[in-house]
Amino acid sequence: MSKILIVDTATKYIYLSLVIDNHEVQSIYQEGINNHSVTIIPFLDELLEQEHIGLQDLDEVIVGVGPGSYTGVRIGVTVAKMIGYLNNIPVKTISSLALIASSSDAEYVIPYVDARRGNAFITCFKQVNGKLDFVTEESLEQIETYLEQFDFTYDFIAEGKPNANKIIQSNLLQDIDEIHELKPNYLRITEAERNKHGNHD
Amino acid sequence: MYVLGVETSCDETSVSVTIDGKEVLSNVVLSQIDIHKEYGGVVPEIASREHIKGITYVFDQAMKEAKIEYEDLDLIAVTEGPGLIGSLLIGVNAAKVISLNYHIPIIGVHHITGHIYASNIEHDFEFPLLALVVSGGHTELILMKEHFSFEKLGETQDDAVGEAYDKIARVLGLPYPGGPVVDKMARDGEEEYHFPRPMIDSDDFNFSFSGLKSHVINLNHNMKQRNEEIHIANFCRSFQEAVTDVLVAKTIKAKDQYQVKQVIVAGGVAANSGLRQKMKEQITDVPVYFPSMKYCTDNAAMISAAGYYKYKKEQKYDDFMLNGSSRLEINKEE
Ligand SMILES: [Zn+2]
Repeated sequence: MSKILIVDTATKYIYLSLVIDNHEVQSIYQEGINNHSVTIIPFLDELLEQEHIGLQDLDEVIVGVGPGSYTGVRIGVTVAKMIGYLNNIPVKTISSLALIASSSDAEYVIPYVDARRGNAFITCFKQVNGKLDFVTEESLEQIETYLEQFDFTYDFIAEGKPNANKIIQSNLLQDIDEIHELKPNYLRITEAERNKHGNHD
Repeated sequence: MYVLGVETSCDETSVSVTIDGKEVLSNVVLSQIDIHKEYGGVVPEIASREHIKGITYVFDQAMKEAKIEYEDLDLIAVTEGPGLIGSLLIGVNAAKVISLNYHIPIIGVHHITGHIYASNIEHDFEFPLLALVVSGGHTELILMKEHFSFEKLGETQDDAVGEAYDKIARVLGLPYPGGPVVDKMARDGEEEYHFPRPMIDSDDFNFSFSGLKSHVINLNHNMKQRNEEIHIANFCRSFQEAVTDVLVAKTIKAKDQYQVKQVIVAGGVAANSGLRQKMKEQITDVPVYFPSMKYCTDNAAMISAAGYYKYKKEQKYDDFMLNGSSRLEINKEE
């Protein structure tokens, strides 16, 4: 029996999935109003309750580490990090953009998380037999300019319930050797750091 | 009762285990101060990033030092506010995971009640009690008639004391955080300049420091314009005398009016040597307690202590909807 929890809070949707023996037995994919911090533990409690198990019964956690909302992604990563640490179980990371992309069956998928003023955290995936691979690196881009480079058709999406089957078999999963090292993938240093470095130029 | 305390409201990641909020088994504090120093103040996004980096490590250290297992805990107390929202959410969610993982009840704690209860760790409260809470974000006089009952008598109408210190330090070209540096300089200085004591004679228990701050900044500016030499230590001493005169005068006024049995000074500015000395000199009829240094600045032992007494008073826990709140009143239940 293997029990895997998948967590992602990097977008305005909260995603929680419980996969037991390769089948998604419970899941939540719900739009939030900046309240993932309030809902994540009640949702998680409910999910586990349905299967009559506790956090201590989990064998593995997969967490979306961004890019996405800084505050949002930290909620899910904090929770995954604590579960991994308390129960001494492996935590694997995956791109939050890959989670969005897994909802699509198109050959080319461009998922994005809005970053205001026409910008987005964005990337392009190629999908063969349900396996996603990066075509471009994840980056923060002006959406319209970014899309100009592609001359093939693609699915351009900001949301979609992740496909748990694809995720648990994905070759984009990354192991974390030391749980204390787990942190979000922000893609950018903070504005304060950028300004400081700018001043030195 | 083994009480786990969790504090992440600003730039310190801290976890503590106490027995009944009195016996401190561990109190681990991971401070980010060296990081924020470079920016002249706490940068909220950097603070959040540092909290999430250190969070499990701090829990691990605190539990190892306390030599107990998570299963042994009876209560989890976590700062729910006020503070930096991104920082608060990390502590709150980490604490909720422990609660869910081990079915241990959780209780949200107001940060200022933590600062107040820091004093009770070392000296038992005697009621009625007057607390002067002074920190980077707060300047308040609070009356307690019994455990976990707080009546706000007055507060700052503008800047907090610690904030004013940081500003003065910046203007004088001294490093962040300003409090300890200005305090240290003041010890070597004399009260050469006479600065105003805002609201010292007002009928209420409120404070105001922005006028004093502007006065100091303007004088500094004008002297520079006139190419006059500024004696920094004297400047610091004069500012500190003005601030502490007001704080002590209002504290004495409240002490007398409410006939308190004990005065405590809480929060980061309680570490100020000028304030300590003046309080002890001018209040001799009732004991005045200052927490030791390790309990003055943000730490989780004080949250554990406040959480224990909050539970004892209210006999109820929070549920998993518990959330962080950047603005939070000390008496939100009432
Ligand atoms: Zn504080």
